Amino acid sequence: MKELYLGIDVGSVSANVVAIDQGGEVHYSTYIRTNGQPLEAVKKGMKDLHASLPTDVVVKGVGTTGSGRQLIGVMVGADVVKNEITAHATATAHVVPDVRTIFEIGGQDSKIIILDDQMVVDFAMNTVCAAGTGSFLDHQSERLGIPIEEFGAMALQAKRDVRIAGRCTVFAESDMIAKQQFGFSKSEIIKGLCEALVRNYINNLGRGKKLEPPFVFQGGVAANIGIKTAFEKEINHEVIIPKHHDIMGAIGSAILAKEYIHESGSTTNFRGFGATDLAFEPSAFECGGCSNNCEVIKVELDKQVVAMWGDRCGMWANNL
Amino acid sequence: MKISFPYMGTTIVYKKLLEMLGHEVIMPPKPSQKTINLGVKYSPEFACFPLKVIMGSYLEAVEQGAEVLITSGGHGPCRAGYYEQVHRRILAEEGYQVDFLVFNSMFKDFKTFKENMLKVKGKSSWLKVAHVLGLIYYMTKKLDALEKQVQKIRPYEVKKGDTTKVWEKIQVLFDPASTKKEMDRAFQQGQELLDGILQMTVPEERKIRIGIVGEIYVVMESSINMKMEELLGNLGAEVERAQYLSQWIEYNAIPKSINFTHEMEILKKGEPYIPINIGGHAKQTVGHIVDYAERGFDGVIHLMPFGCLPELVSQSIVPKISEEMGIPVLTLSIDEQTGTANSLTRVEAFLDLIRGKRAKKIS
Repeated sequence: MKELYLGIDVGSVSANVVAIDQGGEVHYSTYIRTNGQPLEAVKKGMKDLHASLPTDVVVKGVGTTGSGRQLIGVMVGADVVKNEITAHATATAHVVPDVRTIFEIGGQDSKIIILDDQMVVDFAMNTVCAAGTGSFLDHQSERLGIPIEEFGAMALQAKRDVRIAGRCTVFAESDMIAKQQFGFSKSEIIKGLCEALVRNYINNLGRGKKLEPPFVFQGGVAANIGIKTAFEKEINHEVIIPKHHDIMGAIGSAILAKEYIHESGSTTNFRGFGATDLAFEPSAFECGGCSNNCEVIKVELDKQVVAMWGDRCGMWANNL
Repeated sequence: MKISFPYMGTTIVYKKLLEMLGHEVIMPPKPSQKTINLGVKYSPEFACFPLKVIMGSYLEAVEQGAEVLITSGGHGPCRAGYYEQVHRRILAEEGYQVDFLVFNSMFKDFKTFKENMLKVKGKSSWLKVAHVLGLIYYMTKKLDALEKQVQKIRPYEVKKGDTTKVWEKIQVLFDPASTKKEMDRAFQQGQELLDGILQMTVPEERKIRIGIVGEIYVVMESSINMKMEELLGNLGAEVERAQYLSQWIEYNAIPKSINFTHEMEILKKGEPYIPINIGGHAKQTVGHIVDYAERGFDGVIHLMPFGCLPELVSQSIVPKISEEMGIPVLTLSIDEQTGTANSLTRVEAFLDLIRGKRAKKIS
């Protein structure tokens, strides 16, 4: 009989599901693009996971993270629902125990996490602007007609340096068009974009922080070798990319679930693999109790309300 | 005359003051999405968030018939000093003829202060005014004392939301009180209500204390700062704000040379970091961070309106203070955004960081 812990990271662009064992070893993982349907993506991930596991497996605990952590947490019966920063730091400290600086670039946000002696001592998160995130690259790859998977390798072929303004996607785009008209090649433009993104990231998130090695770079964008190279050039130091760089959040939440179960000695709330097939019905309504008109999210299972949130005053959430 | 004012914090205090001086008070509604929408619609796009929300509050107040708006001026080079001018023009453009009474420190411009006082005084005698001011100060003190308890009890309440409900009840209790005796009774009843809240016992070494610093409006007005105090309380942290109304009164009512209030001490503590007055509450912000560190707080949340110049300066000094004093600080920009998921993530992670620091691991 095998005892496993599940971690689910539901982000803006992808949903990841992992299963780890007592030692923190990853047994199964999946990375699914949500395409705007995070619930469906998680359902699919859970099904795939179930199909690939031997039948004698016991799930001892489940953790969720990411912007969709609450809803998915209710659906699967999570033991731990944690923010992405803690989840990412947990996973990285597990893989690279002496890590001091984590660069994480995801689809719609990017983070920097500073650790000391396996403790998070500082962090910053960028969300107000797309310029430092994966979505920016996605968008530009579409513009240039180059699949995002080939983006990084192309950047490495550049022969010359091109400086592209990275402060704002709008500026970057007009700069890019101008440089294209000057006759720079696609690969040079791409390299310029990678460097602009990294410069923006370091200026924005690294502001006022002492960045010390070892550096670990993770998140979906870490698959892009062009960005990795740009990072190494910018900070003048080697950057480590963990093997499971794109599912670190999920791994972290699985580890947190494992720790929680161990420390509390409790048994899991996991609803079972079939749970995602249950008819969970998330819906939203405008409260109208006051002039705030909050949009309240309601999750029902068999006509039974299982969770509510989104109300500022707590009249729904606190009275469940 | 029908008077109104910006909505900030425990507003019954302002209401009471004006009522006791014989004015008809138009109570502006607590800022809601509607207030914000109104404010954003009529304010310049680049203006800071408090200006927009207050604009919304004014529009709601004049809609209800307010003829005079009372507000405070700004300190030093901060846009808040020009709020009244901007608000006045926008209201005039919308066809509302309203008077403004702007109170600045009486030690800076006594003539204007006196003129304003004469208007507020109305038919009351100066003796009455002095008496009322004394009473209001007394009430503010009592309310602040209770609110500080609320902020300490909230993280340990057994039923989520109980403490907040009691705090709302307390403010209603004080509403009809107009003598010292009645205020004492309201205080007593409030204390009993607070004592009646069912609490969990948490060992002293597991308690977490967080200070909230920053620009006064976003710190004091919970409806626009994602209810930061409640949020922190629900996540298990005791809270103290840098600003309380009674402290503000003490600081502004006593001449500088003989002013030995808490606020003066705070300003001194911040001086090594920001030696000159750069406007707004930047000096207070850094001073309070130092103060919280010295008093052994676990962390500080720094709130600023998006694009607030004084607080941008203090924000850039925060990492240095944080390092020298060994206290974690999280800065959050407040604007009209309603998607709070992001800030929630940061606050959660911030508390994890603090707990992790204690447990010597990521938690």
